[in-house]
Amino acid sequence: MTEYAAQDHDPLALESELPSSPMTVNLGPSHPAMHGTVRLVLTLDGETIVEAVPEIGFLHRGFSKSSENSTWTQVLPYTDRLNYVSPYLNNVAYVMGVEKLIGLKVPERAEYIRVLTGEISRITDHLTCIGAIGLELGAFTVFLYAIEARELLWDRIAELSGARVTVSWMRVGGCANDIPPGWVEKLVECLPRVLELTDEIDVLLTRNRIFVDRTRGIGVIGGDEAIDWGFTGPCLRACGVNYDVRKAHPYSVYDRIDFEVPLGSNGDTYDRYVLRLEEIRQSHRIIQQCLEQMPPGPIIVDDWRYALPPKKDVFSSIEGVMAHFKLIMEGIQVPPGEIYAYCEGANGELGFHIVSNGKGKPYAIQVRAPGFPILSGLPRLIKGHMVADIIPIFDSINMIGGEVEQ
Amino acid sequence: MSDGGAPKTPGTQPAAVSTGGGQAGAAAGQASIAAPPKTVRLEVDGRPVEADSRDNLIEAARRIGVQIPYFCYHPRLSIAGQCRMCLVETSDAPGRLVPGCQVRVKEGLKVVTTSPAVKENQRGCMEFHLVNHPVDCAICDESGECKLQDYYMEYDHQPTRIRTYKLNKPKREIFGPLVVYDAERCIMCTRCVRFMDEIAQEPQLAVVQRATYSLIATFPGQPLDSKYSGNTVDICPVGALLNRDFRFQSRVWFLNKSPSVCTGCANGCNVYVESRGTVAYRELPRRNEEVNQVWMCDEGRLTHHPVNDNRVEWARQGRGDAAESVGPRLAVERAVELLKPLAGKGGIGIYISAQSTMEEAAAALLLGKELGAERYFLGGKPACDEDEFLIRADKNPNTRGVKLAGEAFGVRVEDRPPEGVKAMFAMRTDGLSDAVAQRLELLVVASQNEDEATRAADVTLPCMAVYEQDGTLVNWYGRLQRVWPSVPAQRGDTAPGWLWVERILAGLGYTHQVKSTSVAFQLLSARSADLAELTLERIPEQGVVLPRLLPAEWPKRAPRPSAPQAPRGPQTTPPGTKVGDEASGGSR
Ligand code: SF4
Ligand code: SF4
Ligand code: FES
Repeated sequence: MTEYAAQDHDPLALESELPSSPMTVNLGPSHPAMHGTVRLVLTLDGETIVEAVPEIGFLHRGFSKSSENSTWTQVLPYTDRLNYVSPYLNNVAYVMGVEKLIGLKVPERAEYIRVLTGEISRITDHLTCIGAIGLELGAFTVFLYAIEARELLWDRIAELSGARVTVSWMRVGGCANDIPPGWVEKLVECLPRVLELTDEIDVLLTRNRIFVDRTRGIGVIGGDEAIDWGFTGPCLRACGVNYDVRKAHPYSVYDRIDFEVPLGSNGDTYDRYVLRLEEIRQSHRIIQQCLEQMPPGPIIVDDWRYALPPKKDVFSSIEGVMAHFKLIMEGIQVPPGEIYAYCEGANGELGFHIVSNGKGKPYAIQVRAPGFPILSGLPRLIKGHMVADIIPIFDSINMIGGEVEQ
Repeated sequence: MSDGGAPKTPGTQPAAVSTGGGQAGAAAGQASIAAPPKTVRLEVDGRPVEADSRDNLIEAARRIGVQIPYFCYHPRLSIAGQCRMCLVETSDAPGRLVPGCQVRVKEGLKVVTTSPAVKENQRGCMEFHLVNHPVDCAICDESGECKLQDYYMEYDHQPTRIRTYKLNKPKREIFGPLVVYDAERCIMCTRCVRFMDEIAQEPQLAVVQRATYSLIATFPGQPLDSKYSGNTVDICPVGALLNRDFRFQSRVWFLNKSPSVCTGCANGCNVYVESRGTVAYRELPRRNEEVNQVWMCDEGRLTHHPVNDNRVEWARQGRGDAAESVGPRLAVERAVELLKPLAGKGGIGIYISAQSTMEEAAAALLLGKELGAERYFLGGKPACDEDEFLIRADKNPNTRGVKLAGEAFGVRVEDRPPEGVKAMFAMRTDGLSDAVAQRLELLVVASQNEDEATRAADVTLPCMAVYEQDGTLVNWYGRLQRVWPSVPAQRGDTAPGWLWVERILAGLGYTHQVKSTSVAFQLLSARSADLAELTLERIPEQGVVLPRLLPAEWPKRAPRPSAPQAPRGPQTTPPGTKVGDEASGGSR
């Protein structure tokens, strides 16, 4: 008080520099731009970020512990809630791990369905990210376009699994049901519109002076450093590092599908954005090839030790009812062992470390969520930038609270 | 094994030997060899096994954790070779399958349990067992502990190939007071028939009809009314025989299973009590070779009813219709107010029911000492019929224990209806008649169930059942056994009897600090030479024998302790530990 009072009477005070002792500011957890509910404790020198400490835990659900108390199949709904913007991919990574432990070969049609739904999820994930980045830089239209496209796809997902987000649709050994009649036609009908909207976003943002100024050269990280931080997915590829699990360790039927892995060069916010746009187009290519190549046939293994018997058999044969009972009450008996299974999630390498002691429930499960190391690297990305840069940088890493905090 | 020749002196094990997995007391009718057991070395699936010469292949394989599936084999029954599930290959008969239940171990024998032929037989066996099996799991009490379900998933797991109708058979034959039979679910293993012949020694069941049409039946005019009929339900590997008391009461996977001791009679059979919330659902035998082997009687299977029904739930004061629930604090205050003027003035009696735990008895005796009680009475349920096997005439689980506690406190506990006292404290009211209660000027009771005495009491304190609390009991031959809280949920104001006494003593101004069951037990171990060096925590799961209490005469077939008593050491088995597979006496 007295200081100010003194300044009031000191004509020179108006000319002096503003005092610049560091200031601590909380960003989030309930700030509208901190989606995914995270808190950043910022130390500011004026407008410049000196230090940032991300604090997570607001969405913690005890994924590992909950899973240890559920049968192998009951874990699936928990995986939906990891990256809830692309739940199919989580489902797939998890069941791939369990199948690897058992040594189960999944029917071909189910593999194609997995790739198909996974790529749809990748598109919705990227659309969400791009929509948010546009929205928070003032391009509200972009958000509306992105969400329109996303909702078109989520409607298809809802028709498939009954839920937009919490799909729980994969099963150990395949998937829950076959694609319903007429669904493929609907998908084919809506895909052009999704592409059209993507193109419009492209036109609106990619050469937009304001957008480019706010994102180019912002939040830069080099390839080697990104690898040290554990970055994967679009955030790593934006630095020009060519690592995509789908190409590096092809799983499912990705080896039969022709697609490209777009790469950036600067590792900045702009590249991360452009890369996601391009990945949407690549995913679209994959989807079309899946639709062409997908064979008819069973969608889940024909083995009652792993797959629930058809309802007809459950209600009318003792064999069916016993298998159903044992699978529901005691769970699939997974041989003892330990495994790391991984796939290319929307944000990078999504891995499950699974330990089985031969019972119907997992002994332990840990998730390598792609978002976690990337969020850890956020302070590195924003340090030295202005407060206003936090938002586009944070948007471009697409942190999803569900997977980061499990 | 011949029971007639069993030695009368405790501590000597009958010498007979049989296939029975080396388990003592395996049934008569089995191949018996006179020679003492020796070690036999053989190979199971390429791994060396050191087996007992009495073992069959199933038991030998079990020693190294290799499971040979079986339905009809039971370690305590004769071998029937009915189900064919246990077939394995041996070096003695290459290219052929032999029943693992029937073939005895042999030096150098090579057993194969994983060959394609063995696997195919197991699968085929399951398929045949299920040909006429009804689609009942959803309404079958056995569901969740059914061998058919387990083995189907393990050895068959294929859809049915039956394209015709299934055979219909009687679905609900009432066999006797406790047992109901479903012929469609029966796999004709004949375990139940053999149990009735060999263990219960009352042949009340038989196989009738032939081939697919065969089923188990009772004889005309002779229901399955043996006092051991409930055991057939346990050993039935499927849901064909069911306990009528438990039927449709609960799904088994909802129940918590915890070890305890049956309160039905002085034998003190080791049991598991299964409960959910405040409700106890059933008792199952727990293996104890020296008390009940793996069996128990039907009466014992109903001992959860007094735990669930007609309970004193709330502490109250006032006699008959004037009674009002006042909560534990006021009720204790009232008891103190009534007892205080009488303390040390004479005319006080202490009544201890033999349904009480040792700790409750000890607390009641302590109260008597502090009040200067003149007389101590032993109460309990009236005696009833007994037999040569498990059932004792004394229907109380702790008569020996209450007497022992009396000796420890140096008082005479009179085994007669109370008289000659004006005021009385009753630790449980079993056997306390209305006439006696009405004559008393003052009656304070800690009671589990409502009865004549609780209606006439001035203060009624709700007492926990034995299945609800920690404690110890002494069986008819002097075996001190632990009980644990098997029904863990709190009901009303209930508390262990010793805790009510502690509260009254505190109100009277005595500070004994009996704050836990262990401390209550120390009241006795500090005073009794028989219990010296024992603490509640050091009593092993299977109990300890108090040698001074062993009787001279033994009922002919009653299980008895083996020769030397192991030195008392720290307890090794934590409560709740599940003893082996076969041990629960269940169908496993
Ligand atoms: S006996 Fe077993 S298989 Fe048969 S209905 Fe009952 S639970 Fe199911
Ligand atoms: S009733 Fe049960 S124990 Fe008796 S033969 Fe049938 S399946 Fe076996
Ligand atoms: S157990 Fe050997 S035939 Fe049944």
